[in-house]
Amino acid sequence: MVVDASKLNPEFKYEVASLPGAENVRVCFTCGVCTASCPVSEVEERFNPRRMIRMIMWGMKEEILSSDLIWLCNQCYSCYAHCPQDVKFTDVVGALRRMAVEEGYVDASFLRLSEEMDCMTQQLRNRLVSKVLETRCADADAEVDLRSLMTQLAQELEGEEGC
Amino acid sequence: MSEKMNGPVGSALVVGGGIGGVQTALDLADSGYYVYLVEKSPSIGGTMSQLDKTFPTNDCSMCILGPKLVECGRHLNIENITYSELLDLQGEAGDFTATIWEKPRYVDVEACTGCGECAEVCPVSALSEYEECLTERQAVYRPFPQASPNAFTIEKHRERRLCELNCPADCDAQGYIALIGQQKYEEALSLIRETVPLPGVMGRICVHPCESNCRRSGIDEPVSVAALKRFVADQVDPLEVLPEVEEPREEKVAIVGSGPAGLTSAYYLARAGYQCTIYEAQPVPGGMLALGIPEYRLPHDVLEREIRVIEKMGVQIITDTAIGTDITVDELFEQGYDAVYLGIGAQNGRAMGIPGEDVETAVQGVDFLREANLHAHGHPYEGPPVEGRSVAVVGGGNVAMDAARTALRMGAEDVRVLYRRSQKEMPALAEEIEEAHEEGVEFELLVNPTEVLTVDGEMTGLRCVTMQLGAPDDSGRRRPEPVPGSEFDLDVDVLIECIGQSVDLDAAREAGVEHDDWTVSADPLTYETNREGVFAGGDGVTGPSVAVEAVADGRKAAESIHRYLNGMDLSADREDDIRPDPAMDDLPAPVQRRSRQKPELADAADRTGDFNEVVAALEEEAAAIEAERCLDCAVCSECLECVAACEANAIDHDDPGTVRSVNVGAVVLSPGFEEFDPDTLFEYGYGSSENVVSSIEFERILSASGPYGGELVRPSDGRHPDSIAWIQCIGSRDEQVGCGYCSSVCCTYAIKQAQVAQEHSDTPLDMGIFFMDMRTHGKDFERYYNRAQDEHDVDFVRCKVHEIKEDEEGRLILRYATTDGAVRETTYDMVVLSVGLRPPADGADLAERTGIGLNDYGFTRTRYFQPIESTRPGVFVSGAFGGPRDIPETVMQSSAAAGRVSQMLSDARFSATEVKEYPVEKDVTEEPPRVGVFVCHCGLNIGGVVDVPAVKEYAAELPHVVFAEENLYTCSQDTQEIIKEKIEEYDLNRVVVASCTPRTHEPLFQETVREAGLNKYMFTMANIRDQCSWVHSSDPEGATEKSKDLVRAAVAKVVELEPLPEITIGLNKSALVIGGGVSGMTSALTLSEQGFPVHLVEKEESLGGNARAVRRTIEGESVDEFLAGLIRRVDDDPLIDVHRNCEVIESAGYVGNFVTTLRSGDESEEEIEHGAVILASGAVPYVPHEGQFGWELHGDVISCADLENEIEKQSEHISSARRVGIVHCVGSRDEERPYCSRICCSTAIKNAIELKERYPDKEVYLFYRDVRTYGFIEEHYRRARDLGVHFIRYEEDNPPEVSAGEQLEVSFFDEVVDRQITVEMDVLALANGLVPSPGAVDLAKMFKVPLNEDGFFLEAHVKLRPVDFATDGVYMAGLVHAPKNLSESISQAEAAAGRATTLLSQDELAVEGWVARVSDERCSGCEACVNVCPYSAVSIDEDKHVATVNEVLCKGCGACTVACRAGAIDTKGFTNQQLLKEVEAICF
Repeated sequence: MVVDASKLNPEFKYEVASLPGAENVRVCFTCGVCTASCPVSEVEERFNPRRMIRMIMWGMKEEILSSDLIWLCNQCYSCYAHCPQDVKFTDVVGALRRMAVEEGYVDASFLRLSEEMDCMTQQLRNRLVSKVLETRCADADAEVDLRSLMTQLAQELEGEEGC
Repeated sequence: MSEKMNGPVGSALVVGGGIGGVQTALDLADSGYYVYLVEKSPSIGGTMSQLDKTFPTNDCSMCILGPKLVECGRHLNIENITYSELLDLQGEAGDFTATIWEKPRYVDVEACTGCGECAEVCPVSALSEYEECLTERQAVYRPFPQASPNAFTIEKHRERRLCELNCPADCDAQGYIALIGQQKYEEALSLIRETVPLPGVMGRICVHPCESNCRRSGIDEPVSVAALKRFVADQVDPLEVLPEVEEPREEKVAIVGSGPAGLTSAYYLARAGYQCTIYEAQPVPGGMLALGIPEYRLPHDVLEREIRVIEKMGVQIITDTAIGTDITVDELFEQGYDAVYLGIGAQNGRAMGIPGEDVETAVQGVDFLREANLHAHGHPYEGPPVEGRSVAVVGGGNVAMDAARTALRMGAEDVRVLYRRSQKEMPALAEEIEEAHEEGVEFELLVNPTEVLTVDGEMTGLRCVTMQLGAPDDSGRRRPEPVPGSEFDLDVDVLIECIGQSVDLDAAREAGVEHDDWTVSADPLTYETNREGVFAGGDGVTGPSVAVEAVADGRKAAESIHRYLNGMDLSADREDDIRPDPAMDDLPAPVQRRSRQKPELADAADRTGDFNEVVAALEEEAAAIEAERCLDCAVCSECLECVAACEANAIDHDDPGTVRSVNVGAVVLSPGFEEFDPDTLFEYGYGSSENVVSSIEFERILSASGPYGGELVRPSDGRHPDSIAWIQCIGSRDEQVGCGYCSSVCCTYAIKQAQVAQEHSDTPLDMGIFFMDMRTHGKDFERYYNRAQDEHDVDFVRCKVHEIKEDEEGRLILRYATTDGAVRETTYDMVVLSVGLRPPADGADLAERTGIGLNDYGFTRTRYFQPIESTRPGVFVSGAFGGPRDIPETVMQSSAAAGRVSQMLSDARFSATEVKEYPVEKDVTEEPPRVGVFVCHCGLNIGGVVDVPAVKEYAAELPHVVFAEENLYTCSQDTQEIIKEKIEEYDLNRVVVASCTPRTHEPLFQETVREAGLNKYMFTMANIRDQCSWVHSSDPEGATEKSKDLVRAAVAKVVELEPLPEITIGLNKSALVIGGGVSGMTSALTLSEQGFPVHLVEKEESLGGNARAVRRTIEGESVDEFLAGLIRRVDDDPLIDVHRNCEVIESAGYVGNFVTTLRSGDESEEEIEHGAVILASGAVPYVPHEGQFGWELHGDVISCADLENEIEKQSEHISSARRVGIVHCVGSRDEERPYCSRICCSTAIKNAIELKERYPDKEVYLFYRDVRTYGFIEEHYRRARDLGVHFIRYEEDNPPEVSAGEQLEVSFFDEVVDRQITVEMDVLALANGLVPSPGAVDLAKMFKVPLNEDGFFLEAHVKLRPVDFATDGVYMAGLVHAPKNLSESISQAEAAAGRATTLLSQDELAVEGWVARVSDERCSGCEACVNVCPYSAVSIDEDKHVATVNEVLCKGCGACTVACRAGAIDTKGFTNQQLLKEVEAICF
């Protein structure tokens, strides 16, 4: 399939860069360190941060905003840490997600669900660490059973209101 | 503004002794200026000296650098100021005053011969900076064998030696520990005695503040310093190694008191030759050492032996004589003593002042201990009987512990220590408390006696009160307070009070010496009392303290008394202002933990039965371990072994360094760069994986002189690697580490390392270079890259590696994503991180001190058209301090700096330089040979292996030898004088030196010979060091025989030598510059403005060349304005004769004396005479062939230059275009032209940025192969991306397709999105490269200079002579050399002028004696010699049909001699006959 770049959206790269966190998207020089570091790429080959940035540059707006791929990022920030140009791909994905909702590519509930998921994971981690700290403070040598602790905390979280 | 009275100063300061600084210094010195070359390290040479090979020729770096270092080091008009820093720069251009700090080197550079004996004996090793910490060197070191100056340096940081700084006596613990580590026990003992004359005593009883501050305690435990002191004292009988005593002197000193203070002062006074008498009140000498310390801690025989040493030194000790009662101070002076030292101590105890303590069985601890000790010496015991009794000792100090444990040993029933605070506050040493506890002493803490209970004057018990701790008092300890109503009684028979001591002031009073209520008054620095000639120290002055303080006092008082007796200032230079270095709080790099070796203790149950010593000495093995635990914090330990080893007496450990000022007209800064430290990039495993090394470390690994002797091995296991990866852009093009720029050199550097690594490996290596853009933009670098791919099978992988993990076998797994998006892992045995270039660590300081501006990255701020000028007039910068650049560019800038300085200071040329005057040369041609042979020991370097006396004897017997001698160091200054004397005395007419290599030393000896009036060619060297003592070090006899052979050969040759004339020729001081572009004009102006007439030839009507096609620089400056200014200057310059519309048609002559014919447009011809020529005829833009990317097929396909013009004009064509594309590498990097045109990437980006800034809604597409925005141009690449420019990479074999229908359309494959894409393009510009100008071939022939494969001029040496040709007097600048931008052309043009100045500034040219000579009779005119001569020195005499040598051009290389089949051509000084005689002498 040959793409006619003349028909793509040249404004898209500026639109994305105008969103908080995505300011540096255009300075990417396609070194690929984001892709090499991405744990999602490892399971889903189509999830390729470098390619997604390039698609933004080319103005492949519809394709990317309607794609499932932007919802796969698990916000681990690995790409972010090693990027020599400080592109902050994790935040770029966040911008794309918000744009996809705003422009009606996905239902708003999808974004909410996704954000809740992120939030819940975050909370679960926070509580887990606090719990470990608590236990250790009480008894430095105490054994911590992470598995059962996690199950217990997840159940607790489920019972709570929203995020 | 004051009018400047005088002209500029004729000297210059160059900062930085790397290749850049060396080049500038040499060029300036050769142009008539005196140069101060300041280098911060011990040697000039810089980073280049560390490199193994250089790209793209793979020359040995040191081999090409070495001769430059020798030349610079020996130059009459260069003062090499190494190990120094520039502190301050005042004044203005033409007249600066520079302040230079010559750091203490502790070795006299002039006296040091570089023999290396000091390093042989130095016990301390430190990581070698030169070897990138892969190996160690000694504290006294020479960074590398070819260092210049060839002198050693001691690395010493007294401020870091915490043990010594915390020792009151300044005892150099690190020093004697280092010596113990070498089993040099006698030396260690002597070193201790430099500050502590009682090593055995102090090793046992010192409270060792050195240990409490030992830096090792931050890692595990402090070093057992005291135990080591005792160990070494036990190893050596002090009576066997008596200190050397100076000549006896008349002056007599009386010392009152034989305690540690008195004994110490006596020791040092006696050592200085004074007659000392000690008066001791007690029947035994030693003071508190003898009578205050129990024998189980300090055996009496140990003390007695050390006192005996002092007596043997001539000190008389008179016991049982108390001052004040038995003799008075007045009487001492009457008896003829010249000075008196009062070391009276603090002998009295301090009473508690409680009711009942005057009973007989309540005594002072000091009295009790004295009685016990006197008893042990055979005196009757007069203290309270303790056997079978209950003893209470009051106090928590060491005296209390001593008393308690002594009482136990004397048979006390029970002993308890009463202390009013808790154990934590006890001042006694922890080990003392513990040992007392072990022995059965009971501790009653928080208890204080309030009353001695008595019945009929007999003690019946002790009333005590319980204490509690309140608020802290002045001492920081919590103040004990009685608990009301807590009194209780203890059943105690004997009370020993150890709460403090006091000074018996009667003696002082009687002596008329001032005192206060407690102590004798003396000056704290000089120990003078109010009475002249009376000094005092020790406990008597300080109040009760520890022995080491008294020892310290005694030594310092001895110094005062010495000064007093010699009428010297008592207090001058005595303040010790060394403060501990705060950096010592940081622990050193990982050190293996190893616990402290503890001496054995006698069993607690056994030891209370007698007074035998409790603590045993360390075993020898344990002492060795302890010695090794020392961290050598100060590096040099001041053990002074080097001083003893140095036969040249070059070492001075008290060197304070020097601050000096120099007056200079200009300053050139070239301090170089430093490598990016990859430590912080933890994801690449540097520091944690041994097999991940930095590129500079890898250079050392490859180097034959490196830590592995050039064997390519993995640091972790010494195994030969099968595979190596290079990771590029480590600390470059990385915003996250603050280095957004490109380091320019690393790509080619990695390619070089891959090629060299393969050469070092027996098996094919699997090599990968992981890069983002391959930047081989330098001259011939693209071919080098191609060769690595095609011939060396290096894998070039385009990616940034994400991380490196190490497996169990030390192999390294690289994870990365290839351009198609696939994530891969590949394993290598070794990884090299291609670290970037950063500004030098001291760059910011240097900038501040010199008042110049820096850019955001910390490199110097320069302007595009003034590339080597800093922001301060008169201060220039060259090399990597101005931005990352490689060696040739650095050398170019350095010659340019010399050119600019010369231009500025030309009025003062030769005003500050020196000229060497020689005596008239003796004519010895008719004399029979009289040979003198000087055989060198080179310390032990030769003499340790070769039997030098035997070689000398042998030489003396050789035919024609009339004199032979051996020298410790033949190269030393005094030996040069001896050689001259011997030449005179024995009427020598030939000299042979048998020593080291002629490479470094021949010019020195030739000069000496010349100074003695001989022709300098009547000299020969035999290299018996490299070729005998070094290579045959294990076979001394063989080495000696071979030395004799070499000497015999040298003598055979020297006999054959003939004096060679040293003639000079005149020269024309004008230059011809060919090419009127920016390069040519810049060269012309740089020369004319220093007074040299210039003929500037331009083939066109107008000046300006290629720059006329450029509107702006990438930094936005107007080229038009710059060019107009430059042309105006040229036109206005009366010394520049511009020949427009002119071409060079013929040139004849040679350096200094060229005659060139010009033909102008009207066919008229003109002959010009000139001394130098600069070729600056430029290059021309590549013209695409028809159809190449739509060229000439479509009107919208234009050249990049046209695009630039149209943007500038805001043409309709451009302003209406929606999409503009630029194709890179048009006519570059292809099969036909396999070189990079260097400027096209930045030109394309410059235009892309301009387009986006003027028309943000245009889409701009750049089709590139590698973006080569080297150096700071990278910022513009980033800017272009940020503006939204599309960068699309294409492969050479799959370029963008241009369909030139009505609408221009470009179709290409985007590898990242993995799709074929088309774009309708309104304008497509071709970034066409540069090709050599068509006239280059003719010019090359005319001036007999070569072209490279691409048709650009080929320089004399691509690394170190980038603007010169092998043919003297011919230079080049600008695009004739290779593609480069305007700024770089300007540098090179100034460099060419700088190099030409070294020639034109001379009044005459010296002709070297070692040149070729043709025998007309034998020559057949075959031209074999003409073809091999690299210097175009040989030609055919058209009349005689024989070869003829131009002696001015000939370098004596001998190529022609070899090529001549008829044997018609010979090299003087190395004739066939002379060489054959040498061979004969060896073989027959």
